[in-house]
Amino acid sequence: MSFVAWAALAVGVLAVAPFIAHLLRRRPPDEERFAATKWVPANPAVAQRRTALEDRALLAIRVAAVVALAVLGATPFISCSRLSLSRDAGASVALAIVLDDSMSMQVTLEPDSGSALTRFARAKSAAVELVAGLKPGDAVAIVLVGEPVRVALAASTNLDAARVTLDRVSQTDRGSDLDGAVSIAGELLSGLEHVDKRVVVLSDLARSGGSENALKVRSGVELWVPLQQLQGARRNCGVVQADRSDRQIVARVACGAVEPGEGDEQPRKLAVKAGAEVLVEAPLRLQQGAADVVLKLPEQGADDAEARLYVELIGAADAIRVDDAAPVVAVGGQLRVGVVTDPASSDLATGGPPAVEQAFKALSLGVQVRPLSAVPDRAEELDVFELLIVDDMPGFTPAQRRELARWVDDGGVLLITLGPGAAAAPLGSSFAPMLKAIVRWTKDTSAGVDPASDNLFGQASSGLDILAAKGRAALDLERDTAPQIISRWSDGAPFALETRMGRGRAYVLTLPFDTEISDLALRPGFLHLLQRLTVAARTLGGVARTTVGHPWTVEGFEQVEVSRVDRRDQATPLAVKAMPGSQTRHAVADRLGLYELKLDGHQSTRVAAMSEAEVDMVPRALPAGYDGESFGGETASVDVSAYVAVFLIGLMLVELLLRVLSPRVRPRDGDAPPSSGAAPSSGSSAALSSTPS
Amino acid sequence: MVSLASGRRQVKTLLMRAGAQLLPIDWGAISPLKLRAQLVAEGVYAGMHRSRRRGPGVEFGGQRPYVPGDDLRFLDRRSLLRHDRLMVRQFETDTDRALWLCLDASASMAFRSPDAPGAKLAYAALLGAAMTRIAVSGQDPVGLLWIGGDEAQQGIRAGFGHAAFERIVSRLETTVAGGDLSDDIDAVDRCVRLMARRAGRGSIIVVLSDLIDLHDEALSNLVTLGSGPRLVVLVQVLDPCERDLSYRGKVRLRAIEGDREVVTDADAVRGLYRERLAAHTDACRQMVERQGGRLVQACTTDDPVAVVRRVLHAIAEARR
Repeated sequence: MSFVAWAALAVGVLAVAPFIAHLLRRRPPDEERFAATKWVPANPAVAQRRTALEDRALLAIRVAAVVALAVLGATPFISCSRLSLSRDAGASVALAIVLDDSMSMQVTLEPDSGSALTRFARAKSAAVELVAGLKPGDAVAIVLVGEPVRVALAASTNLDAARVTLDRVSQTDRGSDLDGAVSIAGELLSGLEHVDKRVVVLSDLARSGGSENALKVRSGVELWVPLQQLQGARRNCGVVQADRSDRQIVARVACGAVEPGEGDEQPRKLAVKAGAEVLVEAPLRLQQGAADVVLKLPEQGADDAEARLYVELIGAADAIRVDDAAPVVAVGGQLRVGVVTDPASSDLATGGPPAVEQAFKALSLGVQVRPLSAVPDRAEELDVFELLIVDDMPGFTPAQRRELARWVDDGGVLLITLGPGAAAAPLGSSFAPMLKAIVRWTKDTSAGVDPASDNLFGQASSGLDILAAKGRAALDLERDTAPQIISRWSDGAPFALETRMGRGRAYVLTLPFDTEISDLALRPGFLHLLQRLTVAARTLGGVARTTVGHPWTVEGFEQVEVSRVDRRDQATPLAVKAMPGSQTRHAVADRLGLYELKLDGHQSTRVAAMSEAEVDMVPRALPAGYDGESFGGETASVDVSAYVAVFLIGLMLVELLLRVLSPRVRPRDGDAPPSSGAAPSSGSSAALSSTPS
Repeated sequence: MVSLASGRRQVKTLLMRAGAQLLPIDWGAISPLKLRAQLVAEGVYAGMHRSRRRGPGVEFGGQRPYVPGDDLRFLDRRSLLRHDRLMVRQFETDTDRALWLCLDASASMAFRSPDAPGAKLAYAALLGAAMTRIAVSGQDPVGLLWIGGDEAQQGIRAGFGHAAFERIVSRLETTVAGGDLSDDIDAVDRCVRLMARRAGRGSIIVVLSDLIDLHDEALSNLVTLGSGPRLVVLVQVLDPCERDLSYRGKVRLRAIEGDREVVTDADAVRGLYRERLAAHTDACRQMVERQGGRLVQACTTDDPVAVVRRVLHAIAEARR
């Protein structure tokens, strides 16, 4: 220990001095000799009570005074972990706070000490400290890292709004998109006039399975990552999803990488539990990465269990507990996609499955693709799909059309591509009511899609301007139909159409996926198309499992109620927000687990699953030449001497007040004031004479 | 931990309880006694006329015929011879005007508080010496007896003149305090017996005491001395601390005579203490006044001249 520490301890011990003095003063009073003792009534209780009352106030004041003096003396050595901002020549600052609210921020900072302070709590308090240190004229924006990235507060000089915004931010179980958040934060600052622009990243910088490159920020904006203690990979495994098929449960488990020295992996098991009862368990041998673990339920017991089934990691605890369990859902929890295609025309020259299936696999959208040879014409066959892709089929039979129309009305998403096969539809077959038009195949070799008219492919439409198409489908639309043309050929002919039917959507492309006819299936826009269809199917069809943080959007329902159901079947309502001017409503599940939706009385169950990459907490690197020390820090000393001095003066005044007031209550009415205030001498000693006691 | 002073005090307390402790008097501002007594007496003279009496108190009061049973010592032989009649001589009175001082020298009389000019015994000695001075100036005999104190110190028989004054003052200056009257009734009774023997008719007995530790029976015997042709005046001498209980806050009090100990809050009980003290004083006053005597209260901070005057007035009032 240093000399300062010893000195501080010594001063601290002085705080006990008034207490000791108090005890000494409370000792029995000295004996006084007094001749007329027989007329003095005994009254020890009052004497002790009065002494105790007087002493208690004085004792408290003096102890406080000693402590305050100790603090005053220690002021030069006091520093706190308050995050402060340094300024260049006192100029105003534009600050974009990137606050990470993803699941990886639930890790406790000091698990060995038993403290419950999480990374997110520290990051949030640091954000509050930063805002508290801002001055009028400074601008602040707040961006939340949890996927999808959200702008909690656009750049504003209203610091009160920033405080309120931060107060409302809470921890979520979302995945993280740090690159996106930093990018958006830079965008928010770009339009400001401030010279000093900084993006403050309050995050663990977990790469979350994404890029290992260093963080980048746009030019003109400085990057500041102040809280180094938030970073660090910790041992964590999570159950991403659990699908049940008959008596077999396939659980996907992901384990994050750890830094050297983190310690050996403790043995863990994967168990299927119904309430507190363990139905089946299996050892988990996974060290890093993701794997599917198959668990077989026993013949009896599983179906009799009243509680919901959960797959849970048991054994030694890891860094995050909320991801250690996932509800079991029947197969189909994933988005189910049916692809109706002609194998003869859709096979690639390079081999392998059709382009659609390969694209879904590459996108890792969490979908279950099922190839179909024909469009289902029965409801039970069709209802298992949320998305149906019909590639260049020669129309639909009346039974197929009827079921497809009902299915789309109920929220299904249908994509029809038109090619030579569609144009050769036999008599009685058509695409109505999804497409009320006569389809003809033409050899017109138009260049490609007009990006200016495109509302379907987004930024990827630029790659569709040259499709090398050997032909295209021409549509003779019926007069009373008005499908929305969302993309056109460069000559203005419709390339993509969208028809809204009930709660579903029907999309039509005038080009098939056949790579012999065009390069459409080889373009990035094709992947974007599938991604958009997937999102639409998830939102409209109500897929059972979505990644946490992604909204559930419903349309056309009068009453929508969403509630989260925990493992004890306790339901917590979730806010449902309505889109202005439409019947669309959406709810966002920020936490992992099971949710129940009531749509006009019809109840369905959904699952918010974790992002598999979120278990990866290895921090990303900072940009080369990063110098965060110049922007501020955590170890600024705090001068509290003025406050302590005022406090001391206050204590002195209180003591004086007590001393002034206390004599007023001592004499009884009619009593003469004590003579000279000194006690008389005893007459029994040799000093009977003049010794005052 | 017991402090050195506290330990010393406890040892002295034990010694005093054993009766072996004699306490010198803290004279304080009262010394020298002789000079102070003369000054007090002069102050009393300045405020009142001297009462000069002539001759001893036996005066011829006439004759009356003899009746059987009369004391033959008083038979008038001259009248028998001259008139041949048996006559008996009568005297107007046979009382003397002696002043007897009865000084309480018990241990409690050695008490002195810081505010007092001297111990109670010193103050009482001053009053007694001043009255002695006044008495001898009036040709009255003055005697002195003790209650408590050193058993070896003897009383002084009544004497006249300056020599008596010198003798009494000398004895007062060397007096010491001691004894516990609370459980020693004989100490008072010894004084009462001596006083009854020595003080003749018409004597004025002035008892100088704090009246605190006097047993009721002893006090009754003392005032009974005034039931005859004698007059008893009680002068209660108190210290200002005893009068007002001028301690502050929590105190632990131990009696000087006896072993009573009290822990109390002086501020809280001061009123009740005064009431009890006043009740005791009133009881003593009623007791002595029933015997024709008087009680005078004095505090050691009072002007001794005024106190002596109050005593003289009380004597004069009782004689009327």
